[in-house]
Amino acid sequence: MKGMNKQIISFPVPKTGKISLVVAPKTVIHSLMSMLAVLALRGRVIVVDGGNCFDAYSLARALRRRTHQIQPALKAVQLSRAFTCYQMVAMLAELPVDGTPVIVLDLLSTFLDENVNFSKRQRLLESSLNLLRQISEGAPVAAWARAHPAAEGEYQQLLMPLLETAHDIWELQAPEIPDHQLPLF
Amino acid sequence: MPEFIGWLLDLFDDPREGLVLYFIDEKGARHRLTRPFPVTFYALGSDAQLRALWRQLSNRPDEITLCRTHRMDVFKRQDVTVLGVTIKNPYQAGKIFHETAAQFPELEYADADLNISLRFAAETGAFPLCRCQVWSDEAGQLTHIKVLEDAWLLKATPIPLRTMSLAPDVAPHHAKPRYLIVEVAGEKYQLDLHTWRPLLINLRALIQRHDPDLLLTDWGDTWLLPKLMAQSEKYNIPLGLNREVGRGVSWHEERTYFSYGQIIFRGQQIHLFGRCHIDRQNAVLWSDYELDGTIEVSRVTALPLQTAARVSPGTGISSIEMLTALREGILVPWQKQQAEMLKPAADLFSADQGGLVYQPKIGVHKNVAEIDFVSLYPAIMVYFNISPETILPDPNGENLVPALGLAIDNSQDGLIPKALRPLLEKRIEMKKHLASTPNWDPFRKNFKRRASALKWLLVTCFGYLGYKNARFGRIEAHQAVTAYGREALLRAKEAAEDMGFEVIQLYVDGLWVHHPQKTRPEDIQPLLLEIQERTGLPISLDGIYRWVVFVGSRQNKKRAVANRYFGVFQDGSIKVRGIDARRRDSTPFVSEAQMHLLELLASKDQPEEALPEAVDYLRARLRALRSGHVSLPDLLVRQRLGRKLEAYHTPSPAARAVMQLQAAGKEMRPGQRVPFIYTLGKPGVFAWDRPQAPNPHAVDVARYQRLLLRAAGIVLESWGLDEEKLTERVLSDASQLRLPVPPKQHPRKHRSNIPGVVHPAMDRPFKGQIQ
Amino acid sequence: MGRTLPSATQLMLQEEASLARFRRALRRGDQLVFDDLFTSAQKHISAAAYAAHALPFETFLMAMLLEEHKELMRLREIVERLQEMHA
Repeated sequence: MKGMNKQIISFPVPKTGKISLVVAPKTVIHSLMSMLAVLALRGRVIVVDGGNCFDAYSLARALRRRTHQIQPALKAVQLSRAFTCYQMVAMLAELPVDGTPVIVLDLLSTFLDENVNFSKRQRLLESSLNLLRQISEGAPVAAWARAHPAAEGEYQQLLMPLLETAHDIWELQAPEIPDHQLPLF
Repeated sequence: MPEFIGWLLDLFDDPREGLVLYFIDEKGARHRLTRPFPVTFYALGSDAQLRALWRQLSNRPDEITLCRTHRMDVFKRQDVTVLGVTIKNPYQAGKIFHETAAQFPELEYADADLNISLRFAAETGAFPLCRCQVWSDEAGQLTHIKVLEDAWLLKATPIPLRTMSLAPDVAPHHAKPRYLIVEVAGEKYQLDLHTWRPLLINLRALIQRHDPDLLLTDWGDTWLLPKLMAQSEKYNIPLGLNREVGRGVSWHEERTYFSYGQIIFRGQQIHLFGRCHIDRQNAVLWSDYELDGTIEVSRVTALPLQTAARVSPGTGISSIEMLTALREGILVPWQKQQAEMLKPAADLFSADQGGLVYQPKIGVHKNVAEIDFVSLYPAIMVYFNISPETILPDPNGENLVPALGLAIDNSQDGLIPKALRPLLEKRIEMKKHLASTPNWDPFRKNFKRRASALKWLLVTCFGYLGYKNARFGRIEAHQAVTAYGREALLRAKEAAEDMGFEVIQLYVDGLWVHHPQKTRPEDIQPLLLEIQERTGLPISLDGIYRWVVFVGSRQNKKRAVANRYFGVFQDGSIKVRGIDARRRDSTPFVSEAQMHLLELLASKDQPEEALPEAVDYLRARLRALRSGHVSLPDLLVRQRLGRKLEAYHTPSPAARAVMQLQAAGKEMRPGQRVPFIYTLGKPGVFAWDRPQAPNPHAVDVARYQRLLLRAAGIVLESWGLDEEKLTERVLSDASQLRLPVPPKQHPRKHRSNIPGVVHPAMDRPFKGQIQ
Repeated sequence: MGRTLPSATQLMLQEEASLARFRRALRRGDQLVFDDLFTSAQKHISAAAYAAHALPFETFLMAMLLEEHKELMRLREIVERLQEMHA
């Protein structure tokens, strides 16, 4: 967290019929929480967390910047965490299809688990993307894929179908400036 | 051989005979019996997919029978339609299942990869090492088995195991062993490892003559048995390690895994057939509970002895749960699919917490009672019926979990409480029994070891509930347990305060309380009853401290840490947590000295009276250190290698020691402990397992002196001698060599730096300090 | 399953870190008082964790205030005792 690019990017909120994808390093979580705050002030939102990274404190601060009443909005965010790729698929299959916006955090993380064989993971990811496509027909869907500094083979192969599924893609990179550099102005 | 009474020693599947079982007859004989043993797995999915699977499998009628049936899915809380696939020979089951799963990846599977020992226990009630009555026919087929002593019996009849112990004369990773020491039937043999032919012939003769049930080895998994087998093949002298003729040994790969935030390494394993092999150096928690505890684990988990010796307590708990599920006809999922329920983000703040832990008041506290909940988390699971299927997302229902928006369904007993109840009750019984068993009782040791084995299983069962791959795990159940735990501890605190006690410390499942007039065990009794009344959970008095000291953190002395303390109970026994005397990585030279100082303090009515003796003792230890009278093994540090060598930016001392070993051709894995000595100059360490002998003159005496005085300071500080004063006192002895004193670690946090507050001691140079 | 949210101890360190610029601009003596405030709040970290407040800094401020008031009461007692002795 230390000073590391805490600057917040305002993403446009996702729209029904489209899958918005953000490919960015971990620090983007604060921006995503900020977008989530905007959505939560309008009504129910579903968050599926695939990377054990849901930052509830960041969300609370983002809400607090907008309202004094943060509790109703914190209750409007419905959260479920997936710790394995099997859970990710099961969870997406069980989501209510009622127009509630869906945000998926760190979508690829559970699919990078080497304890499950790769073709199986590819198949499970394919099922997950199909489910997201179905959901997006009736509800706004946004997903974040964590960018890997050294993007090796498996990660690339898993990212590809995701890029093909998304309608608009935001690709962000880690700031070039090292965070210990002395700001002169 | 129509009928006998004895013990089930080992069982395994066999390509021709299905199931093979070895028994120890109480009259001395050993029996090998067989039995056909078909096993069933289940497939779940859409009707179309199941029909496709049926068509695929139905062309192998001699091996497989199929049936459509209903089984209980614990997560769905209802019966589901499944296709049962029964395989005639259990030996084929693994292969057929994996082919099926690869061909039909869309299906879910259950009861697929279970240990045959669990299946046998679920079907017959007989588990490994159980005392039983056995009937068989003339062909050597088991016809009936009746358990005579169940796994929950407090005192089981001792098993007349014939044990042979095999060990090299030195640790093979440390030096080249010269002899193989064989111990059997009270005799000891020393076989020369340089002359293989006679060694093999003699060993074979010993194995044949004594026919041991159990081979107890040192480094048998990783060094000895592989070596013996290679030489036996080379000289063409078969040893007969297996009892089962015609079977090779079974190899299991080495592995590294995470457990409670620590990285653990377990070497490769060698399992035998018809005879058991346990490598004491590779067995789980052997130093803690030895063979008695391992037998206990095997009995309560129904895992074969060789497996029970080598699996983590988590796997043990998983086996107990799976066995319960099999008995209840509940599906054991192959891959857990169950995801977390959708819940408001607002609930996460309360849910995502561990146990309640206070920051204790640093310093000495007198007349403090320590009260502990007995196996708190397992007790919560059992008494509050917490299980994956009993937790419902209902913020308004009955039986609400404190602050989580979840409710418990008490209309049925959960699977987890059913599995854990006998284990918990046995543990509580054993604890009671131990408390009333005198020290001279020959069974006491056996009891302590078995109690320890049960303790480890119970300690693990809570974490296992939250483990992502646990078959019957569920996040909400895990969170409910900690929520009840916090509630119980707060109620205990309130009860204590209502009765006029001061609460000194709270720690997950225990509390430390003080009352100036209530200093005898009988004074505490009413509080125990009150807490039990308010929480519904069993609680016991661990003891009353004459004094207990909570020490600050290593980094900042003013910041309290919950689990770093030492104290003396009224009966004179000492309890120590989190300081050198208890840490597995600290050197014996330091931890023994610290323990000795504690004993000195404990021996006086007023601990202060021990200070002069303590100073003399430390001077003597330092003299011994400088004159080379402390043996090198007493200076060994054993640190764990935390990660792969490449991952270190600045290598830790352990990593530097590993580099030396690597240069000598010895590999170490993350999770292994590396013994080394601190030495002068670079790289500052000497790895104990290097081929060369260490130079006693290279020992970094100053460093060990610092370690000793720091450890002594922690113990003596509360009586006026902190590390600085102690260093001054100890080194003021004219005969002592002066050595540099370590710089203070956090000068900016020191109060004496606040303007206007000048601490005179800080301004003058330290006595006895040379720079 | 690892935790998703930072522990109360980590949260306090984060809050302390987020005030790093403020601390840096303080005089040395004031910096040490600042550090002392956080050390005193740390005594109530388990209560803060149990409270599970969505905006934990409010709880930390309360913990600092609590310790301040305790110190105030202690000093007041000493002053009163001294006054009685001199009366």
